Amino acid sequence: MLKAEGISKIYPSGESMVTALEPFSHTFSPGQVTAIVGPSGSGKSTLLNLLAGFDKPTAGQVIHQTPQQTTNLTQLLEGDKARYRLENFGFVFQNYNLMSILSAQENVEFPLTLLGIPVKERLERSRAMLASVGLERRTGHFPSQLSGGEQQRVAICRALVTNANLILADEPTGNLDSKTGAGILELLLGPAREGRTVILITHDAEVAARADVRLYLRDGRLERVEQREGATV
Amino acid sequence: MQSADLVRLAFRGLTRRAVRTTLTVLGIVVAVASMVIFLSLGEGIRKVFRDELGAVGPDLQVSINGINQSGPPIANVPQSLAVQLEAKSKEYGFKSVTPVVYAVRSGGFDPAQSYLFYTYPAKQGTADIIPNAEIAQGRAMNAADEGKLVAVVGSKAAKNGNFKLGSDVRYNRRNFFKVIGILKESGGFSDSFILVPLTTMQKAQGLEGKVSVVAIKLDDPGSAKAVAERVKKDFDVEAQTQSDFLKILDRAVSVSDAIRFGISLISLIVGGLAVANTVMMGVFERTREFGTMRAIGAKPSFVRNLVLLESLILSVLGGIGGVILGYGGILIVNWYTQNLASINAAALTGRLIGFALLISLILGLLAGLLPARNAGRIAITDALGRN
Repeated sequence: MLKAEGISKIYPSGESMVTALEPFSHTFSPGQVTAIVGPSGSGKSTLLNLLAGFDKPTAGQVIHQTPQQTTNLTQLLEGDKARYRLENFGFVFQNYNLMSILSAQENVEFPLTLLGIPVKERLERSRAMLASVGLERRTGHFPSQLSGGEQQRVAICRALVTNANLILADEPTGNLDSKTGAGILELLLGPAREGRTVILITHDAEVAARADVRLYLRDGRLERVEQREGATV
Repeated sequence: MQSADLVRLAFRGLTRRAVRTTLTVLGIVVAVASMVIFLSLGEGIRKVFRDELGAVGPDLQVSINGINQSGPPIANVPQSLAVQLEAKSKEYGFKSVTPVVYAVRSGGFDPAQSYLFYTYPAKQGTADIIPNAEIAQGRAMNAADEGKLVAVVGSKAAKNGNFKLGSDVRYNRRNFFKVIGILKESGGFSDSFILVPLTTMQKAQGLEGKVSVVAIKLDDPGSAKAVAERVKKDFDVEAQTQSDFLKILDRAVSVSDAIRFGISLISLIVGGLAVANTVMMGVFERTREFGTMRAIGAKPSFVRNLVLLESLILSVLGGIGGVILGYGGILIVNWYTQNLASINAAALTGRLIGFALLISLILGLLAGLLPARNAGRIAITDALGRN
């Protein structure tokens, strides 16, 4: 479970201050897909940056709870925060953000390498993960040799391979055609069914419609919260 | 992350722009090679003197002011000193006492036409001066040659000057020495000597009764230091052992090393800037990638180390290549100096290899520090193109 407690972000802009996100509070529950929806400049990415610990909130705090521990992300030092992300979070980006110098398999292996997992185990896990998304024959291909959809599938494998309990995806279908995007969305909905927390940023209404909970942001403010029919909060 | 994984990742980062990386490494290779060749001259000269001095040099050289690094001493020692010293031979344990005049004829821009005249009493024979010297053509000097315009030339000097038996060796406008003998090649300094009777050279220089040094061979070379002290005290002169001479030489070579290193430092700095530029460009181009690594969970220190490692790999590869290319250059230098004077003027020693690799490492470290620091400080949000 991820709890945002009154987090806000104010940036200096010349001599004035710009409020990118007004105090925001919400609890992202395990087993649920939450979509953060809003037009450009509404504060979605700022919110994701704060939730992920990429940026520090001007006020408020982000707390991550697992059955084993409760961690206040806002109070962690940069190095500790990186380690925490590595062990608990998985990320999927709009531009896939695969490392061009690494093959598909090596990209998936990368977080396992950072974790210090032995070579044999990380090979097995990354191969199995790629096979689960139908890329078993593309393991040795580099990102430049893969289509957009394939790259995003590799990126999802990279996000899931550490068994992260929280998946944060920023416009994961933004650069894909609707058919490919639907496939990618299915892959992201899967972890929620396994009990993981999934947070999606999107401005695509169709994608948002598949989420259990929808947070609508406008001008840095949480405008409304919608819940999909039949979803449990 | 294990070190092997980090090294693998660094190599991948470098191979991403293979041409740029190769050119940068080549820059370092050339810089380090030029440094290795420059400094190998000092190492070679030290080695040559260490090897040759024992064979050719006397155990003691007695002079008025001592031999310094400025070159062969002028003939200002009264020859009578040699007589006085010889009189004490038994007491001091002298095996031989030889008054010597050194003279150099400069060949201007052509080093092959420069000669070192080593002159001593003709009756003394060659063996006292150059052990194991053998006559290839003609004959050795004998007592009857004293005062005559004759010379015995070393094999290399004969080759460079195209001297044959009966040829004239020009010392100055008025003095030409007729070649009466040519020595067999011995593979050392002495191949470049031109041996002339002492009084002949004294007359040619207009310095009758004066010598450059009195060269002394001892019955027990191990006592050289103690005997030198006694000679200095008893005769109020300078007496230098081979070890003193090597120290003077080492000092002179060290000064010249510093100058040569200073010159090669310019190319090293240029090479270092090339590495810094390559690594900095790499960091700039891979900002998003580094941001992604950081987002996924890499610590700032990981990114910093990765960039620094890339810089070190570039410079160490350049250093290794530089040592190999430098060795090629040394072989060429030695081929030239072997033809010129039968010596290997340049030497690739263990300490020179170590020094070259250390310099490369320092170069890589310095060149990589700033890019690494910048890479470690990349803000994830900026790198991912947000905000």
